[in-house]
Amino acid sequence: MKRAGAREDAGLRTPWLALSGFLLPALVMYAAFTAYPVARTFWNAFHKVLPNGNETWVGFANLRAILNNDPTFWKAVGNTLAWALVSPVLEVSLGLLLALALYARIPFARFFRIAWFTPVLISYVVVGILWMWIYNYDWGVANELLRLVGLDAWTRPWLGNPATALPALIFVTTWMWTGFNMVVLLAALSSLPSEVLEAAELDNCGWGRKLWFVIVPLVRPTILNLIVLSFIGKMKIFDLVWITTHGGPLWSTETVSTYVYKRAFDWSTFDLGYPSAIAAIWFVFVLAGVLILTSLLRSRERLEF
Amino acid sequence: MNVSAEALYVEPTLRSARRPLAGHIARSLLLILLAGYTAFSAGPFLWLASMSLRTTSEISANHYALPSILHWEKFPAAWFGSSYGTYFLNSLEVVVAAVIVLTLIGAMAAFAFARYRFRMNRVLYFVIFSTIIFPPQITIISLFQVLVDYGLFNSLVGLTLVYIAFQLPLTVYILESFFARVPQDLFDAARMDGYSDGAIFWRVMLPIGLPAIATTVILNFILLWNEFLYAVVLIADDAKRTLPLGIQKFMGDQLEDIGMISTGMMISVIPVVILYVFFSEKLIQGMTAGAVK
Repeated sequence: MKRAGAREDAGLRTPWLALSGFLLPALVMYAAFTAYPVARTFWNAFHKVLPNGNETWVGFANLRAILNNDPTFWKAVGNTLAWALVSPVLEVSLGLLLALALYARIPFARFFRIAWFTPVLISYVVVGILWMWIYNYDWGVANELLRLVGLDAWTRPWLGNPATALPALIFVTTWMWTGFNMVVLLAALSSLPSEVLEAAELDNCGWGRKLWFVIVPLVRPTILNLIVLSFIGKMKIFDLVWITTHGGPLWSTETVSTYVYKRAFDWSTFDLGYPSAIAAIWFVFVLAGVLILTSLLRSRERLEF
Repeated sequence: MNVSAEALYVEPTLRSARRPLAGHIARSLLLILLAGYTAFSAGPFLWLASMSLRTTSEISANHYALPSILHWEKFPAAWFGSSYGTYFLNSLEVVVAAVIVLTLIGAMAAFAFARYRFRMNRVLYFVIFSTIIFPPQITIISLFQVLVDYGLFNSLVGLTLVYIAFQLPLTVYILESFFARVPQDLFDAARMDGYSDGAIFWRVMLPIGLPAIATTVILNFILLWNEFLYAVVLIADDAKRTLPLGIQKFMGDQLEDIGMISTGMMISVIPVVILYVFFSEKLIQGMTAGAVK
């Protein structure tokens, strides 16, 4: 990123008055509605917090209870991690293939680009309801198509079956985000120097090899960003699950977010401390996940050169 | 010698003869594949649009028929009869207010980060920027407590304030990177002409930054228009529900009334579609900002 001349007028005194005028509104909003709540969640995690505002110190009791004997929490962690690890692979690889197809100068590229991007603009609430209908046992498109091609045995209530509910929801997020990944990758591909690709063409290497050894390394920074973005998005997924399955059947689609919500606002447990502790643990998980992913993918990049 | 010369001569012609046909087949296959993916990608939305103009009994008879009679009257029915009008106006109020404030304070902060040298500049910027990766659960429970403390729970003002803080990092990030790339000469010239810091922001930075600002406006509008988690926790009354909450409630109450649910969902999708029709490039730029490096 070029920062032409930014922050170089150091010869002048810093105009503190103007500067604080520019920064204060944002910092106040940030402090009141982001920083303070984050700190308060960590505070809650070590307390029993009753709805009447009564807070009692419980030390590490919440954290111990969550980590040692809360099977629902671990079930939710398993589901969310599965989602967060499978989705990036599906979305980025499919997105890359579609982007390459568009990059090969096919007709109607602009139309395709706009059509593929649409799912990501629609709210999870609308998407969730639409896909509940698509997965409907009696008349949903999924089962209708299976019946059409004679695979009646495969028809099932996709979201009502503990074995298929989570994969079915992962499929929905893939439907939603692949187009987004494709558009980002297309932008990255278009900014590549064309000589490199032409050189690969002349060297007569096949499509697969060209893809893997030339194109993927060149757009690796973008791929890395997309993987991290998709990972973060799935680690916090709530809306889609809440609309479609509420975490069921049999906890099969319970995510950490829905579990936190249930413990805080849905079940009459009357304690905001315990769900805050889950949120705090999960916050550390997400940060660690992002750091691990970034360092893994970056070190591979370094090894290649 | 002779043989190899012949081989050299034959191969190119063979190749050029094979290429166009194979190329055509490959291209057609590719197009069919892409058209298939397009149907998959846009199909559910078109299905929704068609159902929004059909009655539930028509839909039950055949879920996938095109509308034979266009039941436009379903839209006023949903708007006035099922409080979608209230939900829509609540959403509009919250989102428009949030976007206006967000754009202003976000642009001011971005300007300070991009154009001033001061101690803590990068530290503060990084602190705000890093919030982008925070999962919302880390603030949702305590925001509930905080808004109750401030007397802002179950109020559209409270939700607006939360939305401003929620989208602030992304807004500052997009604007800062744009503002930082504007050549310094412009600012020096303005200062020579005696512009104050505030005037430089209003009369130099904002006009030049308009493309990036437009991007953040459209992006924030759509992201907040679709927001569900904060709204579901922070709003309790039916009269204060935003559209995503209203749709969820209607779905819960009238599970079988597929036709009306579709009309309600279409009401929530239409503003997004309109924005997308007019600003698809801007929107795509905004959503992809940062992911491409």
